Amino acid sequence: MSASNSNDLHRSEIDAYGFKHGEDFDYDSYEEFMSRYLSILARRASKWNKLLSGSGSVKRSSKVKRYVRKGIPNEHRGEMWMCVSKAKKLMDSNEGLYQRLLGQELDPSIQSEIDIDLHRTFPENIYFCNDAAASGKQDSLRNVLKAFANHNPEIGYCQGLNYVVAMLLIVLKDEEKSFFLLEKLTKQILVGYYSKNLRGLNVDQMVLGELVKLRNPNIASHMENKMAPWSLVCMKWFVCLYLDILPIETTLRIWDCLFYEGPKILFRVALTLVLQNEESILTARDTSQIVERFRKVKSQPLNMDCHTFMQKVFLDSQPLKMATIDKLRSECEQNL
Amino acid sequence: MTGRGPPRLNGAGAGGMCQFKLVLLGESAVGKSSLVLRFVKGQFHEFQESTIGAAFLTQTVVLDDTTLKFEIWDTAGQERYHSLAPMYYRGSQAAVVVYDITNQDTFARAKTWVRELEKAGSPNLVIALAGNKADMANRRMVEAEEAKAYAEEKSILFMETSAKTAMNVNDLFLAIAKRLPRNEKQPSGEGGSGHTLVDPAQDEKKSGSCLTTPGLNFFTLTSELDLRVFKFEDVYGVILNRISTCYVVNK
Repeated sequence: MSASNSNDLHRSEIDAYGFKHGEDFDYDSYEEFMSRYLSILARRASKWNKLLSGSGSVKRSSKVKRYVRKGIPNEHRGEMWMCVSKAKKLMDSNEGLYQRLLGQELDPSIQSEIDIDLHRTFPENIYFCNDAAASGKQDSLRNVLKAFANHNPEIGYCQGLNYVVAMLLIVLKDEEKSFFLLEKLTKQILVGYYSKNLRGLNVDQMVLGELVKLRNPNIASHMENKMAPWSLVCMKWFVCLYLDILPIETTLRIWDCLFYEGPKILFRVALTLVLQNEESILTARDTSQIVERFRKVKSQPLNMDCHTFMQKVFLDSQPLKMATIDKLRSECEQNL
Repeated sequence: MTGRGPPRLNGAGAGGMCQFKLVLLGESAVGKSSLVLRFVKGQFHEFQESTIGAAFLTQTVVLDDTTLKFEIWDTAGQERYHSLAPMYYRGSQAAVVVYDITNQDTFARAKTWVRELEKAGSPNLVIALAGNKADMANRRMVEAEEAKAYAEEKSILFMETSAKTAMNVNDLFLAIAKRLPRNEKQPSGEGGSGHTLVDPAQDEKKSGSCLTTPGLNFFTLTSELDLRVFKFEDVYGVILNRISTCYVVNK
């Protein structure tokens, strides 16, 4: 990305993904961050180009993991998500499946749940807004959600998936790829998150509570004293995978790790957000104040600098083992 | 329209501050978030993003010299999020159950919400039923009389509202405010997300220089152009922590 491009980008009201900047968008911090981030992006791009020269794909290795954690460049992001999540492999071995699912009629009640949300998904985004001329991706969104519901009757349609799929479509620019990545996401990475009883989602929010307890008992007991279940604060973090919670560039960096490393990253980010807002939480008078304060994380300059934020995420959460999470999951499952 | 008369309230001291938790419940896409947006910010979006989990907003209303702060939990409407609702209505003093007048199913769903609140909500919970999208009366499927009769039977508040035109939106929240008990004074919190509304029925004697907004609900906030902004202290000579501005529009 050239410097002049970036200048256009951050002066514009619309970001690189078609989103309008919010009212509280801090242009100065963004400018300051971008001026530093551009050189990082250039360096990462050249490293990735070298990594991908030849086969054009990657195999799992500590080097690739490190590269992913430092951010997949935009031009490779879609392909790399498909590759590291093995969604591409799944797609290649299921030729024609997506088209077949699209051709099947969907239960009208589920179809209407989807249709209700189509116009309400990123209405401010240039690709999803409801201007007839611009709403190119709304039909694709309907298609992917329909195919997914047909393929997963135990899930059907869950509010929140509309945002996730919309973002997949923005990055992957392809319905079929978005469908198979969604399959990987819901069946292997975030099992039970979007099911009818939201069990996986509820368990993981309790797991976060346990992790906070281990890492910072003060915060945990303050929340308990205020009778504030973590889900009041973090439901949307887990449903929308930080979309609309954190700045978009930061969210995409999280998704890079999500598709490579799995759900651990959701906990790491949550822990960082909780720990960095320790004072806000501890001085909050009641639940509402806690929630109100957390609403501001999106506009915190610290969180806009996605590169520093991600470094902090891996430092803050220290080594976090999947075995720890699984153990907590089974304990929480019993208490649910 | 109800609640136009001067409210009679007991025990409201001058400059007192009360805080209430209010929850919005109802089927997906009936306009819960739009009602809140209209009430809190005076805005309406034709395409309002679907709510995930719940959104939290605050709005302050002045009634009888008492400042009431509504802490509003705007919940997700999809059925699978239903099991989370108790987390939001538990401890609430007020609940607005919303349906869409153009959709009979949403009225049926509203009734089941009312039943659930009667069973599981706090005993003194003030419940209001809102038949939203009243601007779309040409596609009406739920008669106002039917809903009104139901509300009377249940002894709950009822109004047809339109978040789009602002019809009855502020009235609904004021009617709820008038029913809320006001004995617990609480310290004010951080700056609320919205403006301060003043009930004109209460306020006409005080607000000498006010503006009229013809064709709209009697003190609807439409745009900043329609309003005069007073420093709260200037109007009332009282200083309320963190409430710095107050919009006053006359009848």
